[in-house]
Amino acid sequence: MDKKIKKVVKQTEFYILCIIIVFAVIIQIRSGQFFTSNNLMDLVRSMIVPGIYALCALLSFVSTGADVSFPLIAALSAYIAVLAGNTWSLGVVPVFLIAVITGCLIGCINGFFIVRYRFNSLIVTLGTSSICSGILFGAFEAGRTELPEKLYALSKVNIATVKNESSGLGSALPGTFIIMIVLYAAAYFILNYTMVGRSVYALGGDEISAERAGINVKKVRFGVYVVNGGIAAIAGLCYAMMSYFYMPNEYAGAEMLVIAAVILGGTRMSGGIGTLKGCLLGTFLLTMVSNSLILFGISVYWEKVVVGAIIIIGTAISAMQAQRASNPFAVRRKKEA
Amino acid sequence: MKENVLCVKGIKKSFGGVHALKGVDLTIKKGEIHCLAGENGCGKSTIIKVISGFYKPDGGTIEIDGKEYANLNTAEAISAGIQVIYQDFSIFPNLTVMENLAFNQVLAEKKKFVNKKEYRKIAEEAVRKINFNVDLDARVESLSVADKQLIAISRALLHNAKLIIMDEPTTALTSKEVKRLFAIINELKKEGITILFVSHKLDEVFEISDSITILRSGENVHSCPIQEMNEEKFTYYMTGRNFDAVPEKEKISFEERKSMLKTENLSAPGFENISFDLHEGEVLGIVGQLGSGRTELSLALSGMLKPFAGSIFLEGKEVRLNSVSEAQKCGIALVPEDRLTEGLFLPQPIYKNISVTCLDALAKMAGVLKEDDEKTLSQSWVDDIGVATKDHTLPVSTLSGGNQQKVVLARCLATKPKVLILNGPTVGVDIGAKYDIHKLLRGLAKNGMAVLVVSDDVAEVSALCDRAIIMKAGKFAGELKGEELNNENLYKVTA
Repeated sequence: MDKKIKKVVKQTEFYILCIIIVFAVIIQIRSGQFFTSNNLMDLVRSMIVPGIYALCALLSFVSTGADVSFPLIAALSAYIAVLAGNTWSLGVVPVFLIAVITGCLIGCINGFFIVRYRFNSLIVTLGTSSICSGILFGAFEAGRTELPEKLYALSKVNIATVKNESSGLGSALPGTFIIMIVLYAAAYFILNYTMVGRSVYALGGDEISAERAGINVKKVRFGVYVVNGGIAAIAGLCYAMMSYFYMPNEYAGAEMLVIAAVILGGTRMSGGIGTLKGCLLGTFLLTMVSNSLILFGISVYWEKVVVGAIIIIGTAISAMQAQRASNPFAVRRKKEA
Repeated sequence: MKENVLCVKGIKKSFGGVHALKGVDLTIKKGEIHCLAGENGCGKSTIIKVISGFYKPDGGTIEIDGKEYANLNTAEAISAGIQVIYQDFSIFPNLTVMENLAFNQVLAEKKKFVNKKEYRKIAEEAVRKINFNVDLDARVESLSVADKQLIAISRALLHNAKLIIMDEPTTALTSKEVKRLFAIINELKKEGITILFVSHKLDEVFEISDSITILRSGENVHSCPIQEMNEEKFTYYMTGRNFDAVPEKEKISFEERKSMLKTENLSAPGFENISFDLHEGEVLGIVGQLGSGRTELSLALSGMLKPFAGSIFLEGKEVRLNSVSEAQKCGIALVPEDRLTEGLFLPQPIYKNISVTCLDALAKMAGVLKEDDEKTLSQSWVDDIGVATKDHTLPVSTLSGGNQQKVVLARCLATKPKVLILNGPTVGVDIGAKYDIHKLLRGLAKNGMAVLVVSDDVAEVSALCDRAIIMKAGKFAGELKGEELNNENLYKVTA
């Protein structure tokens, strides 16, 4: 039992949880508004899209390296799906399918260059990001677009609504929350209980060992980027559903906060290490900070300073832990002394 | 008559016109510990990869356990009972011990899903085979090198291994850990498992193996039972040249000579109260296991670690060494422990690596450097020390371990030091280069340089040094000189 507690305390996730609690208490004391039903629900609501993005960031970091293309893959594939849905007045399922397929195809381009030519993933995904943005605004001249009828109807459906008695403010939990839960559940199962999932981790740990063990390294790595494209596309549609309109300008720039959240949650940039729990906690922390500083009456500009500081401090903690963990010399010395 | 577990004949393999193997034969009897020896680049790793099915040979036959394989691939090799333990152990540092042990087997069985209970069962079975006591839930990266190796060994045993190939298994181990490894190897032998032990370390080869095959530049040179082998033959077959013995140590007392480097009760993080006196022309050894503080001592003497007590005297004058450049100015040069990460700029050309310590001296007015000056300086050292390279504008990474070490030495000597400190001067260096380096060091000492050799290689210290100080757990543990300085005594004190 003692050993178990010790192990939990050593994890990055534990620190993030502590920081979350501390922040929550401070915000509660200052504003009295944190632990209200509508605030909490708002928080959950605003972490849905970053939360789904976080899956992309996690998968890419664990297996190979940075992927920064997911917001624009999301934007482009969501746009194509919405466009197709409007033209042929499609139902919800076909719209999602079109989005996912488009996302996967763009993911294939990422995967092809990263796997075939062993290019740096950051450079390749920056490139596809830029191409997607060019196609979106140049070729399609995308602008604010209404959603296909059936998708719009679905986006109005909430799974829960609450009302804060004292302030009279209400908040609703949209159906997209279920999509996030399903994606996380699937990811949890695949990453922890299938050999494919474990191969993703193995590959990130040591590529040569993975190859010798008989993992098809190229296939796994390619697959990660294809899946990433698909997940990003789903996030893109979720985002459109939650704002009831497709708005192309709102997508770009989400990657930094998401990557920061994932790293904060203990994912190691050099690969092989990262958990879904960490993803969720990191995303929750950053969402909470950017949402709740308004409750303090702190201006939006200072909010960015606070978020930046949290990223640096948080990642420093996980980086230091990683260094300590991967320094066998220190362990050995302790043993021999 | 014992049957052969492996019999390969006339294996040829070339890579783009380079003949790595020119018809190698290797016969290994069941249940023996067979040593495969040879200098770097002799084709040892290539033949291992052929046996394990990684490379397809251009010619020759492979027979495992009496069955001939025409197109051996890795899966066939594994199912035939061949397991390779690579130098990097092929493990996943980010996963737990349990997963590392079970992963390959589960993958080989083409299972799709993970069953944690099955994992644990496999892992427990694996560690039980060699009585290896380890926390199965620990992440492998937090373990010591020796433990990582044991994980690789126990994993290999899972596959009903008949022949385990160990590629230079002792490189990163301390002598205590080597002993433990040898005990395990002997245990495996008793169970009827055959071991192919790849090494170029003389004493280990004689200690552990039953028979030996020596390769040189892709050809068999000699195979025989270990009883018929001796040190001279071994070095001769390995290198193809006869060595005159390393120059005799000067049988004189150095105490009369001028003191070059002296410490009094020097203490720093990692060691305490170390006092010694190094004289002109003397080669002094500092021997100790990993963690004994020997590395820290060498760092403190070269300005990289700040002592908190005690004093350092250089030629009788007390000095404070706050940085490497100060130590250099005082005439102290250090050959660091790990040349790859602490010593060399691997992608840079050889001549830049040599001239880097003397850039200030080479610089003309306003700090302008002329490349030609750098090249002249470097060429003279390359010739002097005998770095085997066609062209010193090639990157250092193209050189073998021994020649890389010579480059590090050349760079240190280019500063014209009075005191030369070497930490593990011949780690990962083949016999030929080791001999060259030892000869060079003796020569330097004869010309009056004071040399401090920091090492855990007992044989090296006893062959090379005039005197040796033994360190244990950060403290002075004894001193040996003259006739007393031999392998047995050193083993006794260090162990």
